[in-house]
Amino acid sequence: MEIFDSPWLINMLAKSSKTPQGRLLALFDILHDWLKAPSFEQTSVTLGASSLPLVSYCLDQARLLGAENPELLAEHIVLIAQNAARHAIAQPESNSLIHAKKVANALIQAQTQKTGLAANLKGSRTVLYGVAASMVMLIGAAAIWAPMFMHSRSAQAQLAQTEQPIDNSTVNAAENQSKALTAIDASRMYAKYEQMRQGTCQFPEALQIPDKHKSIYLENVVGGKLPTDLADLGVANFYLEKVRCNFTPMLMAASK
Amino acid sequence: MSGLREKILSTASDLFQTQGINSTGVDTIVATAGTTKMTLYKYFSSKELLILEVLKTGHQDFQTWLNDKLNANAKHPAEKLQKLFDYIEEWITAPEFNGIGFIKASAEFPKEDNPVHMLSAEQSMQFQEYIKQLANEANIQDADGLSLQLSLLFKGAAQAEQMKRGSDAIKYAKIAAKILIDGSLTR
Repeated sequence: MEIFDSPWLINMLAKSSKTPQGRLLALFDILHDWLKAPSFEQTSVTLGASSLPLVSYCLDQARLLGAENPELLAEHIVLIAQNAARHAIAQPESNSLIHAKKVANALIQAQTQKTGLAANLKGSRTVLYGVAASMVMLIGAAAIWAPMFMHSRSAQAQLAQTEQPIDNSTVNAAENQSKALTAIDASRMYAKYEQMRQGTCQFPEALQIPDKHKSIYLENVVGGKLPTDLADLGVANFYLEKVRCNFTPMLMAASK
Repeated sequence: MSGLREKILSTASDLFQTQGINSTGVDTIVATAGTTKMTLYKYFSSKELLILEVLKTGHQDFQTWLNDKLNANAKHPAEKLQKLFDYIEEWITAPEFNGIGFIKASAEFPKEDNPVHMLSAEQSMQFQEYIKQLANEANIQDADGLSLQLSLLFKGAAQAEQMKRGSDAIKYAKIAAKILIDGSLTR
């Protein structure tokens, strides 16, 4: 398939994003759109086509983002894109390029996260320190979390009760009360943001999150802005829990 | 004699694996197997038919091996899913490099209407179905999506490894698989 050899594709990639990761992942979006375009005529993807300019462009991006084995990452990503494009032609409803993008993203993570191959091959000492550090953080987190959970649970219970209206005014009062954010909530949330700042964190992909939660996630988890009401706080907490952080102290990370 | 048939099959399989399918002639196969062209054509009426038989047997061996390994070493469905790539790694990085027949075949026969290509595409789908079954047993909501992701990951890794042995492709694929599986479990 000529698209994998076209200068157009590389131009599109170069324009797509400010980060090397974004430019690599844009490959899948561009192909997805290209194959969905009405002008698209039935074509086939020749597997094993070298697509050298594309591979070498991806190699540059892989180097820029600090991949452990950039040659392999570039090669693997282009192979996945070719296979997925081929799959998309055979089964357009499978959205294979969207799935392929997730795969590529996971591969980028595998090649850049400290728990990757290189870290595993290095001395187990740093790993032990890391484990010890995260244990301490876990205990700390548990201490912060436990009361939080109880609080949000009682808030939910309150909300549940108010769903059987006895009297309109009490309902509204209860709702106002439960939706308002207390100073304690705020300080706990700030503690968590601060904690996240001290580690290298890996956020869940926004694409995987339901639309109604996306803005809360982006603003209150990734952006580190305090939610305005309790419902949002619950959602933000749910996603905060999924953020994985590596709390290897900076000094230790630098000495590796 | 079915013994001769088996001998031709396994010889052809080794040669296809090491030298490529297209570049292995029928002459080489019969010479290596110590038989004659006439005998070969008695069992397989054409080279294409022989290729198809080799692919079928190879795929069956791979699936059976994988299934036995998973059943013996993982109790829970989710665990099977997690260990899938461990065993794929074992298969691909084995010194005798068994290779993944259908991946090699689809690369050597890129034309979509070619019977060899069609069979390898079917086997590729079967493998994805197998992963989907594991995902379903593990109660993963988007079993379709995850199985497609893992199969794309696996295919690419096997192709990368085929291009360059010892590329670490499957090792990184293993880490990526874990990220994808974990992501679909927690949803």
